[in-house]
Amino acid sequence: MNIKRYLDFRLLGLTGSGLLILSQFLPWFSNHSLLDIYIISTSVAIEDSFLYLFPLICGIICLVGAIVILYNLDYKINSVIINFIGLGFFLIFIIEIIPRELLYIPYAEIGFYFSVVGSILIFFEILNILITKQE
Amino acid sequence: MSTGTIYHHLDTLSSLIEQQDDKKYYLSELGLHAYTSLIDNKDNIITPEFSKKEFNSPILKGLMFLTPKTYINYENNRTYSVIIFSILIALVGSIFCGLNGLFPFFLFFGESLTIFTTVDLIIQFLLALFFIGNILLYFLINEGLSRSIYKKRENTLKFLATFAIIFFPLDIYLVLRFILTSTGSLSFSYIRVLDNVLLILFQVWSLWLLTYNLSINKKLKIENSLIISLLVHYGGFSIMFLISI
Repeated sequence: MNIKRYLDFRLLGLTGSGLLILSQFLPWFSNHSLLDIYIISTSVAIEDSFLYLFPLICGIICLVGAIVILYNLDYKINSVIINFIGLGFFLIFIIEIIPRELLYIPYAEIGFYFSVVGSILIFFEILNILITKQE
Repeated sequence: MSTGTIYHHLDTLSSLIEQQDDKKYYLSELGLHAYTSLIDNKDNIITPEFSKKEFNSPILKGLMFLTPKTYINYENNRTYSVIIFSILIALVGSIFCGLNGLFPFFLFFGESLTIFTTVDLIIQFLLALFFIGNILLYFLINEGLSRSIYKKRENTLKFLATFAIIFFPLDIYLVLRFILTSTGSLSFSYIRVLDNVLLILFQVWSLWLLTYNLSINKKLKIENSLIISLLVHYGGFSIMFLISI
């Protein structure tokens, strides 16, 4: 069965960035969303609270990348560069936050999984863009 | 087409064609080589149409503006100046990597050692050495991938000579970070966010330089160069992530 006939793989990016944006508003730890954690950490002036917004920023940037490639396949390199920038935010977030919250990872809630799946989808979206041959 | 135009084109192609006794034009030996080379590499050649469309966009125009093209795609008579430039980049990077107390891994920097209030001189020296080792390791992985995935074995020395140029943006980042650290600005949360954003932007610039270098020196299509950059970058991230855990 030719899956490509039924599914446009360019939608991977749209889905991935959608999941990342959505993950910002879904519970991550102790029934708190990242937005809640950001607001709490800002109010008590804990450092690096902005980091909690990085998945949302990543999602928005990658959404732009996904729209660019959906709009015109000719702009594949542009889309990949935009996705690189977007994923960069997520990578920094993961490197900075996850080791800090490592003990709580087994109790992570749906938002965490949404963000991980979203970033993986974006990774495959980039690969798909690069291996897609132009007509 | 006028006779003048035909003669103009024949003149342009003079090294590739030759007129034989029957007054007809045939491909010369060099012309035949050029023809077979074009046929053999049909899939790897970037079409001018693609280049024109993509490279006229603001993002790629900007990135091309920031690319030291004359150093990456250099003539043989400039080899020494390119090597000196590369060594200079590696040295500056290693010095500032040591001064910042950062552990380099591909295009990432680990901060675990900065928890010490004063980084020992020996540790700084080791980190500087790690930066040089990191460049060589990164080169070997990229060379290995372009050989194993795309069977591109050519220009290894040229690729090595220009490889440190990829780290030029990271040198700028390290210098900026050193300024932020020494002025005490890095303790402010907003500056730390700025530091992260700068790292992301300079990483993307470095990735672009790697892609450009691969496509010029390993004769890869820009998409294939990006695939290698992507695999190495995110592979490096995964390892970095596991180390930090």
